[in-house]
Amino acid sequence: MLEVKNLIVKYGGITAIQGISLSIPRRQIVAMVGANGAGKSTTINAISGMVRKTSGDIVYEGKSLPTRPHEVSRMGIVQVPEGRKIFPTISVEENLILGAYVVKDPLVLKQNLERVYSLFPVLKARRRQGGGTLSGGEQQMLAFGRALMSNPNILLLDEPSLGLAPKLIIEIFQFIEKLKQEGLTILLVEQNATKALSIADYAYVLETGRIVAEGSGKELLANPIIRKAYLGCLDDPE
Amino acid sequence: MSRDVIVQQILNGISLGGVYALEAVGFGIVFNILKFSNFSHGGVVTICAYFGFFISTRFIPSLWGSLAVTILFGGVIGILVEKLVFRPIRIQNKPLTYFFVNSITVAMIVQQFFSALWGSNYYPFPAFIKETVFQLGKLVVSKSYLLMLSMSAAVLIALSLFLRRTKTGIAIRAASSDIHTPALMGVNTDFIVSITFCIAGILAGVTGFFLGMTYTVTPFIGSMILKGIIASIIGGMGSLGGGVIAGVLLGAMESLLIAEVGASITPIIIYFAIIILLMVRPQGIAGKLYSVKA
Repeated sequence: MLEVKNLIVKYGGITAIQGISLSIPRRQIVAMVGANGAGKSTTINAISGMVRKTSGDIVYEGKSLPTRPHEVSRMGIVQVPEGRKIFPTISVEENLILGAYVVKDPLVLKQNLERVYSLFPVLKARRRQGGGTLSGGEQQMLAFGRALMSNPNILLLDEPSLGLAPKLIIEIFQFIEKLKQEGLTILLVEQNATKALSIADYAYVLETGRIVAEGSGKELLANPIIRKAYLGCLDDPE
Repeated sequence: MSRDVIVQQILNGISLGGVYALEAVGFGIVFNILKFSNFSHGGVVTICAYFGFFISTRFIPSLWGSLAVTILFGGVIGILVEKLVFRPIRIQNKPLTYFFVNSITVAMIVQQFFSALWGSNYYPFPAFIKETVFQLGKLVVSKSYLLMLSMSAAVLIALSLFLRRTKTGIAIRAASSDIHTPALMGVNTDFIVSITFCIAGILAGVTGFFLGMTYTVTPFIGSMILKGIIASIIGGMGSLGGGVIAGVLLGAMESLLIAEVGASITPIIIYFAIIILLMVRPQGIAGKLYSVKA
């Protein structure tokens, strides 16, 4: 569905991404794991158009993706950014309405709003509050809700579990699997590699801007070299 | 000073304060999303004042007609200034200082342009309103002041509805805290910046027209937005509502002081008061502290 071919991203003389190719098939969860600075976020931002790619091609359903971020999101490829990037000064509901910026039909907007509120009732309870007053977990729900408001086809999730309590992390990963079952295609970037691989259909391991390993989530989790080098596990696979 | 005179002065001051409020919001709305002090706003006010003068004296003698055309013209000028002066440096991600310097440059160019062309003359607006005052008990209400106050209020209410009720308005408010992320929701950042300058231009249109009506049109009329900038800062950068409150208060305080202690001492008292206020409450009346400023 979404193909990244030979992506190279340079900024300020540094080559952040040195030729990455990814394939993200329809209705699957594809994960990118790797240490800080491996280029995971840069890859997602290059797909979103938030950083300019130096060369390479990003193809969506047979066509090259536009390069400006608002055009990419209008194609149904929507990013949930690292650190949630909730708008703190507008209300929770306005954050959600902004998520449906490209939805022209007010009825569809209303339906989507009801759907997000039924997914996350706490957002409905807090809908008049400023986005900045929410807790970290609630902000992550709002970030997901905001992305779902436009009926996206592909979700690009950048570190969704970052900074959350362990119990919430489990819920977030369950939620991502639920989104897949509902028909969404997902590219998941995570430092919490073990968790990400356990739900991924396919995964890529990145190191300093290159893919150093790939395979199904299970294969990578079972690979002792990967476990040791990238997952920080010294024990045998359970 | 009798009670009636005080009430009278406050009334006049509030009307003038309405114009300060317009200036504060026009200045503040651009600061909110691009985080620089946009002194070119004064330039646009000057252009609109001259435009309003020529339109009303030569082509459209009616008050509402010439005001409406001036407002539209202001919006267009706002868009043009952004496209020609600020967009090129924004696309290159230049530091805020560039924006600040460019904005002052625009204000200076406009001032010098009109000085060179028509600087030797004063241009009074036509007298739109025949009877200039009406009696309200013991109070004398100037019709043109009342008009300024009601129009300023109407424009600010309309703007507030736009910012709250439309998706574009919500996007502008969202961009005030983070200009990059709305693009992930499909918002075209360039469009949002353009609309914001258009709004500032529309407000400059109203401001220029009213200033021209109240005083006379000179190349320096745009520098009167200094009061609006002060109102915006006292109100709290980032809070348009705070700017409106501060604008009205500033106008009332100014008129009262002018009647009480005279026009030459008033500015000294006001500027000292501002310095003290900002020492006590650096975030202004309703604002949050900003660390990025240029």
